[in-house]
Amino acid sequence: MDKLIDDEMLVAQFQAGRQNAFDELMKRYKSKIFSYLLRSVRNYEDAEDITIEVFFKAYRALEGWQPKAKFSTWLYKIASNLAIDYHRAKARHPVYALEDTEIPEARLVATDLHSDPEKQLEEKERGLLIREAVDQLSPKQKAVFMLSRYEGLQLKEVAETLDMAEGTVKIHLHRAVKRLQTLLRPLWENNEI
Amino acid sequence: MPKCKKSEGQAIDYASKLLPSAEEEPFEEHLKHCQDCSEAVASYTAVLDLTDKAQDELTVPEVALKNIEMNVYKRLAVTQEQTLLSRIRAYFVSSGSPFGWYKTAAVSSVAIALITTVVLIGKPFQSEETFRLTESQSADARIEEYRQQGIQRNLEEVLITHHLRNDAWETESQLHRMKEQAHGTNWTKVADKHLQSLQSGDSTAQ
Repeated sequence: MDKLIDDEMLVAQFQAGRQNAFDELMKRYKSKIFSYLLRSVRNYEDAEDITIEVFFKAYRALEGWQPKAKFSTWLYKIASNLAIDYHRAKARHPVYALEDTEIPEARLVATDLHSDPEKQLEEKERGLLIREAVDQLSPKQKAVFMLSRYEGLQLKEVAETLDMAEGTVKIHLHRAVKRLQTLLRPLWENNEI
Repeated sequence: MPKCKKSEGQAIDYASKLLPSAEEEPFEEHLKHCQDCSEAVASYTAVLDLTDKAQDELTVPEVALKNIEMNVYKRLAVTQEQTLLSRIRAYFVSSGSPFGWYKTAAVSSVAIALITTVVLIGKPFQSEETFRLTESQSADARIEEYRQQGIQRNLEEVLITHHLRNDAWETESQLHRMKEQAHGTNWTKVADKHLQSLQSGDSTAQ
């Protein structure tokens, strides 16, 4: 299928009964959505399950979808809502909460067999400390920060995804960056990161 | 942070590359004279570089993405079957069975029986509609893709989940191709049956 066809055109094709169009949409976004969810839920298996759920929901809702916003924004919205549900459920049942160290990092980080294992371990520790700092942001700050910083969404798109005013998105983003600075500064001043 | 509070937001936006272009040049001019803001920009930039690098390490390996599509279609197929079960249940309920509370038990039994049939015998709902559709080229393309991804063994599952429901298995050559592609699965028998019907001129088996 032509990669130059835009998402909205593919949606129209799907709505007209062309099944392949949804395959192409999944192909385009499965990696992005998986990565976004992995950053949010910090658990490999859960991120995979929620990614499947995102596309399942999208498939079922796509027939009646109207292009009021970009398809990608809509998809991120589904993913964000599911991530919020996940965090709420996790908060209700803390006994099942997983520690960050349980993330199978080895499966996620590319391994260079020729590199220094000690240095790799240091890098892993450093990455862990920084991601823990991101986890300490409030849910809204974290969502805004991740969508804007890692998913490359414009502030307007972040606002649409999270149902917020654009000004509110900016406030959350500023607070997130300031909070991260407060959390990370002592670490880099002590040469821990 | 910066004593120059007026520009704190701008310092973050500048470090985040979110400052509107109209404000960029005046702010850069401001930075030349304001040590507070220069230090703030340097600090925020360092924070963002660190978080970017840490997040980049969380990459999703290709292998993790292989089964996403198939699992989505499997999930959809299960829902379709559940929808059928709920329709059966609705039928029982609306028909106003004289057996009172036995009605629920009867519906449950039918549901369990159907699910068991699906698990043990396989696809009673896999109607022959699957083979009536168009776009045989895309079927080949997708099957080839699965073959390349090393999940050719799951071809049968792909067929069960209606993944290829828009594809045609109408002509003799298409059915021969299907038989070849579905080698090692029960679908070869289905292809044989359709081929026999086709050869005997029985169009109703299509």
